[in-house]
Amino acid sequence: MKSTSIARAEWQNLVGKYGIAIVLVVLFVTAGIISPVFYRSANIFNVLQQASALGIVSIGQTLVILVGGIDLSIGSIMATSCVFAAALMRGQNHLVLPVAAFCLGIGVLAGLINGLIVTRRNAPPFIVTLGTALIFQGIRFVYTKGAPFGSIPSIVRFLGKGGIGFLPASVIIFLLLSGCFALVLRKTAYGRKIYAIGVNRRVSHLSGINVANVVLSTYVLSGLFAAFGGLVLAGYLGFGDNWAGKGYELDAIAAVVVGGTSLAGGKGGIGGTVVGVLIMTIVFNMVLLAGLPYQFQQIVKGLIIAVSVAFYSYLGKED
Amino acid sequence: MDQEILKVENVTKKFPGVVALDRVSFSVRRGEVHALVGENGAGKSTLMKILAGALQPDEGLIYLKGKEVAIQNTQQARDLGISIIYQEFNLLPDLSVVQNIFLGREKFGRYPFLNYQRMAQEARDLLTQLGAEVSPYALVRELGVAQQQQVEIAKALSVNADVVIMDEPTASLGEHEVGKLFQIISSLKERGVTVIYISHRLEEIFKIADSVTVLKDGKCMGTYSVQELDEMKLVKLMVGRSFSETFPPRGKERGEVILEVKELSCPPLLKEINLKVHRGEIVGLFGLVGAGRTELAKTLFGVYPHYRGNIVINGKVLHLTSCRKAILHGISYVPEDRKEEGLCLDLSVRENSALPIIDKFKKTLFVDDQAMDSMIQRLVEALRIKTPSLRQRVKFLSGGNQQKVVLAKWLATEPRLIIFDEPTRGIDVGAKAEIYQIMRELASRGNGILMISSELPEVIGLSDRIYVMHQGKIVREFPSTEQLTEEEIMVYATGLSKV
Ligand SMILES: Nc1ncnc2c1ncn2[C@@H]1O[C@H](COP(=O)(O)OP(=O)(O)OP(=O)(O)O)[C@@H](O)[C@H]1O
Ligand SMILES: [Mg+2]
Repeated sequence: MKSTSIARAEWQNLVGKYGIAIVLVVLFVTAGIISPVFYRSANIFNVLQQASALGIVSIGQTLVILVGGIDLSIGSIMATSCVFAAALMRGQNHLVLPVAAFCLGIGVLAGLINGLIVTRRNAPPFIVTLGTALIFQGIRFVYTKGAPFGSIPSIVRFLGKGGIGFLPASVIIFLLLSGCFALVLRKTAYGRKIYAIGVNRRVSHLSGINVANVVLSTYVLSGLFAAFGGLVLAGYLGFGDNWAGKGYELDAIAAVVVGGTSLAGGKGGIGGTVVGVLIMTIVFNMVLLAGLPYQFQQIVKGLIIAVSVAFYSYLGKED
Repeated sequence: MDQEILKVENVTKKFPGVVALDRVSFSVRRGEVHALVGENGAGKSTLMKILAGALQPDEGLIYLKGKEVAIQNTQQARDLGISIIYQEFNLLPDLSVVQNIFLGREKFGRYPFLNYQRMAQEARDLLTQLGAEVSPYALVRELGVAQQQQVEIAKALSVNADVVIMDEPTASLGEHEVGKLFQIISSLKERGVTVIYISHRLEEIFKIADSVTVLKDGKCMGTYSVQELDEMKLVKLMVGRSFSETFPPRGKERGEVILEVKELSCPPLLKEINLKVHRGEIVGLFGLVGAGRTELAKTLFGVYPHYRGNIVINGKVLHLTSCRKAILHGISYVPEDRKEEGLCLDLSVRENSALPIIDKFKKTLFVDDQAMDSMIQRLVEALRIKTPSLRQRVKFLSGGNQQKVVLAKWLATEPRLIIFDEPTRGIDVGAKAEIYQIMRELASRGNGILMISSELPEVIGLSDRIYVMHQGKIVREFPSTEQLTEEEIMVYATGLSKV
């Protein structure tokens, strides 16, 4: 009489795999129904552009969360990178390469600091990255004395605002990076180790995996991607903004969770995160297109997170 | 006395890719000890989980005291008087022993506060009866596997149920603790409590069971009274062929020393350990629960880097500071605690088996999944791991099959020195013989083996040489095992004879 239990398990499996993609498609259709403006190529361009900075930093966040960590400092790293880019490039194209390298270096360094504290001192990442976020913020405030200066040269502006047809340059980079890291996670030994550590750190350690180094590397990558995301934002804004990445750390976590990666680690992946990022951005866009005030975004954001968490825990019940 | 307390009729349970139970029927008389036997993956635990309300059958009926019951959840099973010792422990590691034992059934005092004293007292009584040296306030996380097993047993006994199900309660216990458990089972029986008992140690069945039901591939092969059976017959019913549990012949020649331990101490337990393992030999390490065998093994594997003394591998003194380093020097350690130390339960058979050697399967940038699969497939066949596919997550395998995955994982590293910690825990008779064979082959190919086991027949039958530990020290070496008796070893293991 209950031979359906297998059918149910298989159904759950399917929904778990493709459910989130279906939600994206449904959103894509309803957005157009709510407001036909949604499908205009200018709007699509806009949505994709907004998705890409969030998307780039969410890749790093996904890696960190997969090993069972969390990075609350990415917003601060983004702003720091953005502020330094404006101040040091001073609108001059020939300074782009060295300064961009410098900014990315800052990101790597920031990630290294996070990762070292987390792994060497065995400290809870939530608190560590909350703390370092303040440090990075302080550094940029000291440097700019509260008023950012300089400007962003045209090459970087193209990165942040330019594009081909309805495809922004930044989204191409985002998708390329996503593809790369999806492959890294699925196909390389490094990726397999990330999952193993997320599932069971102790067993991974006893299996000879250098757990500390792998965990450290995820924070470094997260810092690097945050710095890069900061450059993309700088290109979009055109000036150094002390609060350029504000709220991105939480949006990134939300996108990762909505995409099906478990905060406990070991489950999920980049594909889900890409979809999660698109869902979040489309919903923000819908709120604007529907003529609702900006504050509604937060309500909707909260709702999506709550619903998706409930959804995934329902799927996980059979385990 | 002769009435049926429990009857199961045509119970079927399917999982994706597996029929775990196929129209199984059997009945249990009140007050008897009813053994349930079968190979790994035969469906024993599944059947018991159904009786305990942890799983729902797809089809079939259950009668308790003559009445049909539908056991929807574990709470209901407990209310009906059924209590279970799970094979895979169900303890919360961060809670204390008492908290675990009385989880969900806490006792209150006169006021609406928990009466911890009373609970601790009861817990202490139960644990003492079981011969467990465990404080009720200790955290479960800090206990060894044997002690966790005893807590799990105490938890099931504290319920005062009419039917107590024991799923491999002795798999990780030593002889002494098993004796205590058997005393408890006898006294339960005197009180009219029914016990359903699962074990792969057949001699136990003949010691305490009244009747035996055999499962094979999810089908019931019938119920017999112990009097009409002997070990040969029972094995034939379980495995489908006759077969006697023999050990492979001992090693002929041993090579140079592969591992030498000199004056090794590691606080708090290990004191001045000296031992040697040669190429080509299997060295047994025996001791009672708490003697320090696992601590010694883990020290040799680099888990406790703060040791003093020397560990010499292949003539070189190494400072083993991490497991990574140990593995690089060709040492493998097969842990006894498969859930906490052996397996990533949420990963597949394949990912688990390949974990220590994942770097070896690089083809340019990526992992060569085909090469990995074919190697693991070979191990899965050699160890006869029952799994629908290499992609099955190990948490869906039966206990014994999980244990085999742990073995596969470490055999795949092709170690030069391999330390087995209770390698055959929860493994069925047929597979045991095969594992002994594999271990012997490993040794004869010039590798060294150090084997920890609580089963004396296994230690004596398989080892070429034996060390006995007591309270953190090696108290005796037996250079040959040919004429050795269990009593001789026990004298030293219990510390009755001080050197
Ligand atoms: N939750 C599950 N999902 C999928 N398959 C399962 C699940 N639980 C058990 N199985 C499968 O059902 C079969 C019977 O498993 P069960 O645990 O009952 O075996 P067992 O007789 O207790 O074996 P062992 O002696 O190894 O403990 C096995 O093939 C196992 O892989
Ligand atoms: Mg079992």
